Amino acid sequence: MRTGWKWNFLCRKIEALEENMKNGLEMEKNGGPQRDVPELTREQIEAIPQQLFTPASFNEEEAEKISYSNYSYWASTLKNFWKNKAAAVLIVALALLIAFTVIQPYLPGQRPATLINNDPDTGMHLRNLPPDGEYWFGTNDIGQDLWARIWAGTRTSLFIGVVVALSDLIAGMILGLVWGYVRKVDRLFTEAYNIISNIPQTLILILVSYILRPSLSTIIISMCMVGWLAMARFVRNQVIFVRDRDFNLASRCLGTSTFKIICRNLIPQMVSVVSLQTVLAIPGAMGDEVFLTYIGLGLPVAIPSLGNLVNDGRVLMMSPQLRYQLIFPAAVIGFITIAFYVIGNAFADASDPKNHV
Amino acid sequence: MLKYTIRRLLGALLSLFIIVSVIFVLLRFMPMEGFLGAGYEKMSEDTVQSLLAEKGLLDPIPVQLFHFYKNLFQGDLGTSWVYRAGYPISKILASKIPVSLRLGLLSQALAIAVGIPLGALMAHARGKIWDKLGTGFIVLVEALPAAIYHLFLQLYGTSLLSLPLVFSKSNPVSLLLPVISVSLGSIAGYALWMRRYMLDNMNMDYVKLAQAKGVSGRDIMMKHVFRNAFVPMAQFLPGSILTTIIGSIYVEHLYSIPGTGGLLIDVIQRQDNAMVQVLVLLYSAIGIAGMFLGDFFMGLLDPRIQLVKGENNR
Amino acid sequence: MGQKTDAAKNDTIKNDALQNDAVISVRDLNVKFHLRGQRLHALRGISLDIHQGESLAIVGESGSGKSVFIKNFIGLLDKNGWIDSGEIWFAGQDLAKLKDEKVWRKIRGGKIAMVMQDPMTSLNPLKTIGWQIAEALKLHQGLAGEAAKNKTAELLSDVGISLPETRMKQYPHEFSGGMRQRVVIAIALACNPEILICDEPTTALDVTIQAQILQLLKDLKEKHHLTTIYITHDLGVVANVADRIAVMYAGDVIEVGTCEEIFFQPKHPYTWSLLSSLPQLAAGEEELYCISGTPPNLFQTIQGDAFAPRNPWALQVDFLYRPPYFEVSPTHKAKTWLLDPRAPKIEPPAAIRRMMELGKQPQARAGRKESADAK
Repeated sequence: MRTGWKWNFLCRKIEALEENMKNGLEMEKNGGPQRDVPELTREQIEAIPQQLFTPASFNEEEAEKISYSNYSYWASTLKNFWKNKAAAVLIVALALLIAFTVIQPYLPGQRPATLINNDPDTGMHLRNLPPDGEYWFGTNDIGQDLWARIWAGTRTSLFIGVVVALSDLIAGMILGLVWGYVRKVDRLFTEAYNIISNIPQTLILILVSYILRPSLSTIIISMCMVGWLAMARFVRNQVIFVRDRDFNLASRCLGTSTFKIICRNLIPQMVSVVSLQTVLAIPGAMGDEVFLTYIGLGLPVAIPSLGNLVNDGRVLMMSPQLRYQLIFPAAVIGFITIAFYVIGNAFADASDPKNHV
Repeated sequence: MLKYTIRRLLGALLSLFIIVSVIFVLLRFMPMEGFLGAGYEKMSEDTVQSLLAEKGLLDPIPVQLFHFYKNLFQGDLGTSWVYRAGYPISKILASKIPVSLRLGLLSQALAIAVGIPLGALMAHARGKIWDKLGTGFIVLVEALPAAIYHLFLQLYGTSLLSLPLVFSKSNPVSLLLPVISVSLGSIAGYALWMRRYMLDNMNMDYVKLAQAKGVSGRDIMMKHVFRNAFVPMAQFLPGSILTTIIGSIYVEHLYSIPGTGGLLIDVIQRQDNAMVQVLVLLYSAIGIAGMFLGDFFMGLLDPRIQLVKGENNR
Repeated sequence: MGQKTDAAKNDTIKNDALQNDAVISVRDLNVKFHLRGQRLHALRGISLDIHQGESLAIVGESGSGKSVFIKNFIGLLDKNGWIDSGEIWFAGQDLAKLKDEKVWRKIRGGKIAMVMQDPMTSLNPLKTIGWQIAEALKLHQGLAGEAAKNKTAELLSDVGISLPETRMKQYPHEFSGGMRQRVVIAIALACNPEILICDEPTTALDVTIQAQILQLLKDLKEKHHLTTIYITHDLGVVANVADRIAVMYAGDVIEVGTCEEIFFQPKHPYTWSLLSSLPQLAAGEEELYCISGTPPNLFQTIQGDAFAPRNPWALQVDFLYRPPYFEVSPTHKAKTWLLDPRAPKIEPPAAIRRMMELGKQPQARAGRKESADAK
């Protein structure tokens, strides 16, 4: 749920990241050079030929050459990211899983997710069939193929996650940029934020899904209505931080247009904070879907989603031989959310200039 | 400083007023018939109208709002419409809140007792095995949808450890799994933030000065770093303790605990608007009071925060 | 491990140190760091003696390794750094090889105390001033309770804080920057040290406060018979307080001498550049000198004199061989090939020539001393 602990902490994590950005932007310390030249002995000193004791030509340009390590922000970020082995493995695995989810229906021998399978001999529904060679993940209590349902459900859940994350990103960015950059509306927006953020977000989520009746678009709309708020707040803080910095002031004094300032000066500064927020919105939305399903405001049962599958499995979990119906969907959603979480955090840490050592 | 405190208090009350009013108005956009509970389809049009009029639902919205606040100031939370029709809401809450509060306070105590030392230990052993184990735990709890780990905890807690599946008032052991379930999220949260604040403090100049003074590593951790890292934690401790009144939807449902957890969803689905309004008021008030108390609590611990002075001068 | 020869060598160094009453003797100290997966050679074979009761200033631009150098004296190198080779002799032991935390804790504060650069951040914001001073008193003087309280008050008035009884109950945020630096000094004194290291003690302060703090440090040095080490990039501070100056560049002490010698007879082109860039020394219309370029790369091996690429007076030999110390006087030595007998006579820049002229007139030197004292 996006209320309470998790969300609270997420917000604070991002605030701390912003803090680090502030502290870390000017990180470039210098020290002394290498010394592997041994000290000269008296004989060696005496052996230095006389002609070397003549003035060398002084090259101002040579002296001015800035000879620091060729540091690049993005190269360093990527390097740091790949250094995190867990995240590197997970991103590859997650990419494969998502690719498989997308192409699965087009592979040969796949059954439709909603097809109720009958025994060809008896014509009976193949209910609660345990996993075997034919039905890899078994069948559910009305005889649908769990393997097909899980991938269909993953598609639905990922779709929800991606749409919500994109909406958070777009709405949050636009509103945050306006909020931060246009001084006149800051007060109004801040007051509004204080009020809205004090309404339990569960309540908004429930009210919207209830008023609009459950469907895929309702779920997405209700989640989008809640998610942009935090994003807008982060963007606004970041904008204010950059807005008052000297390079931006200089840029404005030179008459650069507001639009160009936003594109060139502000957005690049926010990449790491915003990308973390966006990446984490995906598992967040998937978790919300499970929650809404649990309280009976989720997708209609006809649409396979991970929330529906977990909920179906929950009902049966106390009979050990049917437990697979909970474990399989739970494992998939668990893997996806953990992968996104770890990758998002690894990327945020890697792109944090403070860690570029 | 007193002025500042009063201004904040008034601001909080104003936000509360706006939130409650907005929700009140929103609720009036729901289909009216739902307000009468099940069976309204069979009533005649006249009965529906008279019942609505009886509940004051045909008045203009501002008038309804005025009545609501008037009753509120007289300490009357009203009566339930559908959930337990005609029963005073205050009595419903009085029977449910203590149940949730007990569960919540126990799990908060557990979370503070485990989470904060865990975070401190992780910061102290940064990069070593304890830090890695703790991080693994935090990732698991933070990333997984809460439903998943609550379900598995119940599943294996009851099947492997043969702990009670449902809560019963007479058996304290039946609270064990629910308390652990509820506290997991808070443990992860406290540990995560304690670790972060400890590490932040360990890099500060005053720690370097303490080292240069010759203070031992243990004393620096205990007397300087831990204490200072705890201050920002203090800001959200009151909020999370207060929030336990709201209860946990998942856990109370899974273990059939008769608390406030699912109450809001329940009354929204049954369109018991009188109760929805009271609950919204309660939840927002808790949220706002939590923030306010958090600032106050932090002010007690941090001499730089001037709010305290205002409080003392009263 | 030729332990015997090592021991013999150590003895001679120890004796050396005794003869010239050095409290700290550093010999060929090499410190390296791991940074971004590379090795960085931060200190390149420093040798330096610090004498009993003197006031030594270590001067250099940021990144020259001054802070890294003194951090070795209290065993607080950053975690990614280590002493690669060399010795630091203090009170009969080699600090470079000292690993025992317990012994280190006695030395830190108790023998060698430190005043840090930024008083705004170097005090614990949540503890009272009195608590923070008493912590040091308890550790190094074993004082507690009433005795500690009295001593705290005494120390506070020593560093020029009025109403010590009230002030000691206050928190750092109730003090101004200059006052906080006084508190930091009081904490250092509470440890009852022999050596006081001041790491850029005035950099973070207002100009008006700087002189007060320097004067305070000078007075306390006399009162408590301290050996003081200043680290600074501000030659104005140096002129005020130092008996002796060590100029650092790229991780090495390239010139060391008494205050007079460094100001009036500088030998190393880097010292010339440093002095010429002082606004006080520029004459009328003359454009202020600035050293071109930046200090050498962190990670590359340096051939010859590290300053050569930025040195307008560089000789060809500077690019090939690292100069050894050439002794100018018993107290003055510099690492530059210009002092080699084979080197051509090179005129220092105009500002330095003027300084040298001034140095020959005894009254001017006295005048400088006086003006410094007056501050």
